[in-house]
Amino acid sequence: MTTLRTIADINIKISQGSVKVLTVEALKARVAEVGVAQTAQEVDVVTTGTFEPMESSGAILNLGHTDPPIKIRQCWIDGVLTYSGFGAVDLYLGASQPTETSLNDNDGEDARERGGGHVIEDLIAGKALPLRATGQGTDCYPRSDINTLITRDSINQFYLFNPRNLYQNFLVGVNGGDRPLHTYLGPLQPQLGNAVYSNPGALSPLLNDPKLRLVGVGTKIFLGGGIGYVSWEGTQHFPLQKRLKNDTPIGPAATLALIGDAKQMSPKWVRGCHFKHYGPSLMLGVGVPLPILDESVVQACAVSDQELVAPVIDFSIPRRVRPTFGLVSYAQLKSGALTIDRKRVRTAPLASLHLSRQVAIELKEWIESGQFTLTEPIAEIPCDRTFIPQDSRGSQMNLT
Amino acid sequence: MPVTYRLAKDFNIAANIIRAQVAPNQVGKLVLELAGDIDQLDASIDWMQAQNINVSFASREIVIDEDSCVDCGLCTGVCPTEALTLDPETFRLNFRRSRCIVCEQCVPTCPVQAISTNF
Repeated sequence: MTTLRTIADINIKISQGSVKVLTVEALKARVAEVGVAQTAQEVDVVTTGTFEPMESSGAILNLGHTDPPIKIRQCWIDGVLTYSGFGAVDLYLGASQPTETSLNDNDGEDARERGGGHVIEDLIAGKALPLRATGQGTDCYPRSDINTLITRDSINQFYLFNPRNLYQNFLVGVNGGDRPLHTYLGPLQPQLGNAVYSNPGALSPLLNDPKLRLVGVGTKIFLGGGIGYVSWEGTQHFPLQKRLKNDTPIGPAATLALIGDAKQMSPKWVRGCHFKHYGPSLMLGVGVPLPILDESVVQACAVSDQELVAPVIDFSIPRRVRPTFGLVSYAQLKSGALTIDRKRVRTAPLASLHLSRQVAIELKEWIESGQFTLTEPIAEIPCDRTFIPQDSRGSQMNLT
Repeated sequence: MPVTYRLAKDFNIAANIIRAQVAPNQVGKLVLELAGDIDQLDASIDWMQAQNINVSFASREIVIDEDSCVDCGLCTGVCPTEALTLDPETFRLNFRRSRCIVCEQCVPTCPVQAISTNF
């Protein structure tokens, strides 16, 4: 296929202020109007975005050294336990780590509904939070404890390092059982009371680049209102998921690990959240620019909600492989209801479609104003990873 | 004065305390949901007013904090009367107060705790 422009060409146009950028929705509309070939001629970059809970996220923090210095053994920030089993004052604050209520001044319901995601949001918002740590006490790090307040400006590094973000498609949760379920998709009501989908469908970054041709290690992105990068394949990356003829997967598939400086981010795009009786998580705005190198990029981005599907999964069977009610299109999901076993079931999204659009619009404005250029990926994301289940060895589960 | 005790004892009214802020020997505020015979309810309200208790009537409703709401729409799936819906064009949350029966299922569903009741 004929190359229309390179990333270097696009960056020159960005610096000259002559770049033509469309959000992915505007691009789909343009293709419907003038076709793929003309759209590919006209447009240089398409911006995609999503805003959804991404619980496999967290922040790396480096506190700086105290005097006398401490090698942290255990540490809590605002009552949330961090991981400290590496550098002396390096910490990893996981988004889904719940607040330990006994350690928080503000005990009770409020504290129980908080966790790492809220602490990350508060630090990004510039709040001062209490930090308590105990030390191991060594010859080089003699200190045994510390109680202090930290802000994003009083620590050395504070960056998000998210092992699994940007799921390329996901599933639809329903509950065919007879008791309410509290899940990572929120409450699922019994007897197919509601259905929840968590991917924004045709807006979703990786559904518009189904074979990960344009996105790779080193791709610069919008992450939480700041600049971030794709750092690796994500955990549970499963590009070999079954796919439709348009190359989009029929269920959870590719994932990406993302990294970015949290000190630049905004609490508007990094929001702690909590699912009742499941736990805390983090809602994150992520935007990915896709360079229109040739017509095939436009062809892939023209995919509509009618042509994208997700599996409807019954969460009432608490097993690794749960029964499915078949596939449903995102057009159907976004209509507000679907039909299962001749029963009308209301559908609700978990991704904010409104804020997903806003991410794509904001990234478009960054590129048009010259403050965001595109990067060439430095390595491809593997497309041949299988999905390995973990079966306990040496023990056998017997269901008879 | 033990108000809820008197309501139960003298008027056979079940008083569900929704919110209370009453310091000893001081003026306070008590939000009650009263259930009982209609005539007894009227009589109990007359009695409370006679005791210099300022009685005002509140209708319970849900309140959405628009600064916290991210328009995810998770609440729309559990709202039995479709008072909460997503606009099909903008995908922003719509709340039609007249359809709300204050079942409060949306309150614990909201992942960013943006929905509460007004007392």
